[in-house]
Amino acid sequence: MAPLEAASVTVEFAGLRALDDVSLTLGPGEILGLIGPNGSGKTTLVNAMTGQVPVAGGTISLGDAVLTGRTPREIAHAGVSRTFQIGRHFDNLTILENVATAALGKGAPVRVALERATALIEEFGLGRRLDDLAEVLSYGEKRRVEIARALAGEPHYLLLDEPAAGMNEEETESLIEILAMLPKDRGLGLLIIDHDMGLIMRLCERLHVLASGRTIAEGDRRTVRDDPAVIEAYLGSGSGDA
Amino acid sequence: MMARRNWLTFVLLGGVIVLVAVAAELVGDRLLLRITTNLCISMVLVIGLQIFMGNSGILSFAHVGFMGVGAYTSAVLTIPVQMKGMALPNLYPFLADVQMLPVVGMALGGLTAALVAALAVYPLMRLSDAAAVITSFALFVVLHTIMYHWSDVTNGPRTLFGIPGGTTLPLAAGVAIAAVLAALLFKESRVGRLLRASRDDEIAAASLGAHIPRLRWQAFIVSALLAGIGGALWGHFITSFSPKQLWLKETFVILAMLVIGGPRTVTGAVVGVLIVTASFESLRSLEGAINRADILSEPLVGMTELTLAVAMIAVLALRPGGICPSREVGYYLFRRRARGP
Ligand SMILES: Nc1ncnc2c1ncn2[C@@H]1O[C@H](COP(=O)(O)OP(=O)(O)OP(=O)(O)O)[C@@H](O)[C@H]1O
Ligand SMILES: [Mg+2]
Repeated sequence: MAPLEAASVTVEFAGLRALDDVSLTLGPGEILGLIGPNGSGKTTLVNAMTGQVPVAGGTISLGDAVLTGRTPREIAHAGVSRTFQIGRHFDNLTILENVATAALGKGAPVRVALERATALIEEFGLGRRLDDLAEVLSYGEKRRVEIARALAGEPHYLLLDEPAAGMNEEETESLIEILAMLPKDRGLGLLIIDHDMGLIMRLCERLHVLASGRTIAEGDRRTVRDDPAVIEAYLGSGSGDA
Repeated sequence: MMARRNWLTFVLLGGVIVLVAVAAELVGDRLLLRITTNLCISMVLVIGLQIFMGNSGILSFAHVGFMGVGAYTSAVLTIPVQMKGMALPNLYPFLADVQMLPVVGMALGGLTAALVAALAVYPLMRLSDAAAVITSFALFVVLHTIMYHWSDVTNGPRTLFGIPGGTTLPLAAGVAIAAVLAALLFKESRVGRLLRASRDDEIAAASLGAHIPRLRWQAFIVSALLAGIGGALWGHFITSFSPKQLWLKETFVILAMLVIGGPRTVTGAVVGVLIVTASFESLRSLEGAINRADILSEPLVGMTELTLAVAMIAVLALRPGGICPSREVGYYLFRRRARGP
């Protein structure tokens, strides 16, 4: 599998430069942490990579295939999936139906989609809630459903926007276990945004740090963690949890 | 293929329709037979609307327009040749000599409505929310205007008469049961499932690979097919009609039935038709009785419509998803059985 690549990506919102010349590469089977203070452009980068916002400059590509300017649907079919920071569920559908949607979206027949979804839901520890409507789930359960749903599309790359937000310690712990296995089990390339540095440090070998829409550091997690620019960005923004 | 509890839903809903129809036949009262036949026709129309509106979450005003396409198509194809000279003197020669059986006309009426939908609505399916609702209303106006002015084929604003009867209660009930099955199968199909996901969250569904305009378009075609068949059934039931009967009042009744019952479920569509028809008919006879008894100085009018409007407002305010918001009836029974001793 070819790497997923963002090269010199710039995104602008009515004059505000949310991303400025950001480049990032995600390889198959790797876990990359994308961190940075609030408003630094992490979600915007994921939005740009999945076609949710247009880019003002730069290219997004998956091997030879250029993804820039393609719709979210086309990018999903190319093998890039994501979850949403705000959480997006199909409230009136059951957990099973929620998760099966991704497989159906990629063209799987109903029977296959339901089987695949059932297996994933069990794997995520929600087997007994298969038939509950998504709207009745707790916050942490919804997050798990959303990740399971993304996986049901059998993507090559998965971009997770704050998967542990709102989870308690126990839930975070089991999430870390599941996420750690994904690259090995499925050859999946994983990008994780999170403010929980404990989670990031345990899962990611490599980190990419944004501040005010620019890359301020990237590379090995230990080097990045001790980088003065990173410490400065976090302390300067007053982001206590980082 | 459907899960077992969906078959249970089908058996229960179909059973209710059979029960109502058999009861009416046994009583044999002519008014009751008419009311019940009408109920079955409404069922076809409302379930047809449920297929699009319930799964896509987009309110469509155009439904009665497609009902009209079916009604007029079947009428033109089935009016006896010797009647046509009078009913439609300027009809095109290739249609003037056509005389089909009502059931054939009904099938072709449905197919024509589906074809018109397939050719006309794709661009509208890109729109969501208010824009989608408004354009569906514009489409309704277009269809209505064509029916109103295409005099050679529809007799224009005047009543079109001479349509052969052919809609019996067993036929209408049979079509209604088939509509229930079609709606349940559609809901559980790949298209139906993806469409329902897009109804709940459009952005998430698209990011999972769903081609939303195409899904909506497919649902709309099936919905128009049932609207057309329902319209043709209606035409062969009342045997003469004008475009005025295919306008806002009819639209309001069909919408109210679906909204009150619950657009997201087929059970809701069936329940809505039953409840609204029952209250409509009892109010109408009450209204008639009051007027006959000369209790009031002026005749009482509009009570049924007012009640329906208030009921619709009340449901939307108190229970926005309708009486049956998200689960089909089979779910409750199956769950109870599965948990039984
Ligand atoms: N759709 C939009 N329209 C206008 N401005 C936007 C839009 N989306 C993001 N922004 C702005 O772009 C900047 C980057 O936002 P973004 O959501 O990418 O930050 P983030 O790093 O994900 O922050 P957080 O950690 O709080 O999630 C912010 O200033 C934000 O207000
Ligand atoms: Mg964010």
